[in-house]
Amino acid sequence: MRMRTASSLLALLLVGSALRTAEAQDPRLSNRLDAPTRKALSAIVDSARAQGIPVEPLMEKVYQGLAMGADGSRIVVAVRSLTFEMGNAHRVLGAVATADELKAAASAVHAGVPAVELGKMKKQSGLRRSLTLPFTVLADIVSRGVPVAAATNAIKSLVGAGAKDKEISDFQRNVSVDIEKGAQPAAAAETRAKVVPTPKAENREHE
Amino acid sequence: MPDWGRTTLELMVQELQHPVRLDESFDRRVMVRVRRIYAERRHRGIIGWLGAAASISRRPAWAAALAAGVVAVVSLAVVKRTTNTVAATGQAIPVQFVLVAPDARSVAVVGDFNNWGLNDTALVAENHHGVWSVSAPVHTGVHRYAFLVNGKQWVADPTAPRAADDDFGQPSSALVVEASTQ
Repeated sequence: MRMRTASSLLALLLVGSALRTAEAQDPRLSNRLDAPTRKALSAIVDSARAQGIPVEPLMEKVYQGLAMGADGSRIVVAVRSLTFEMGNAHRVLGAVATADELKAAASAVHAGVPAVELGKMKKQSGLRRSLTLPFTVLADIVSRGVPVAAATNAIKSLVGAGAKDKEISDFQRNVSVDIEKGAQPAAAAETRAKVVPTPKAENREHE
Repeated sequence: MPDWGRTTLELMVQELQHPVRLDESFDRRVMVRVRRIYAERRHRGIIGWLGAAASISRRPAWAAALAAGVVAVVSLAVVKRTTNTVAATGQAIPVQFVLVAPDARSVAVVGDFNNWGLNDTALVAENHHGVWSVSAPVHTGVHRYAFLVNGKQWVADPTAPRAADDDFGQPSSALVVEASTQ
């Protein structure tokens, strides 16, 4: 019990300085963020660290907000939202997910994809396959108007069929061009997901 | 057990179920080694054999600890291999950013990879008759970025996936840089 208390205290001491360290490294944070904003961000970052969520994407969000001229309260809302989305992704993807996968997954969750669907994709693809790009493309096509269910099914079928990142990238490009030309977003995603040549499909052709 | 723990366990089991491919000479090398050990022990005689057997039967606790250690090492190796992907996020790959903006007076690229620095670290693009471009090494990973036109207008990269989380009312794009092709 005493050991556990000591461990908790040590963990709190270790995680408590994330934002303060970043401030020390980059004076832009202390120069341009007011005290209430710094305090709020520090609490969010500490909470993220305690949950095992990588904090670098949170700091990047702060930098982005500063560059885009957002005020402190808006930056706090954005960072809190990102922490929540990364937390959701972390719960379903597991400890094996990389920081990049979590960041990309958070983007998909932000776009409206249920985190549980991302977890299913991770289980389907296994440890070796990075889902950073598929999650990024999923977030992109949803933001272009493809309904969440259609977008999720398209990416799931591509990943399940063994499509490589290059092919999923081509899929994204084709879907976006189709939509810009006036295609119905769901139809564009469903149709383009069928024609992507995947290793499994190629194997079947050779058999 | 929490959801992430269950997922991790399932993925580890899945990983361990993959067949291990051995090269053709493996059997031969093992048998050579076994015969050598057998010859050495026969040379030592019956006392040597008994000594070897006794060293195991006397120390069941050590054997159990060794077995637990092997399991722990295997488990750690599986987890470590995945975390290495994060550790590998350090390799920089040249990336070209291009924006067609014939009327622009200046174009810069700002993003996660330069901490959204507007002045000293912004990537200033060169103008080639309205086609603005700049190449820079970008670390492997997923990045958010945008073009800053004329020092005030944010423009997403029309050729890249959109970043869905435009929290600050300005468009941005997503870039996935990978160390090697799959």
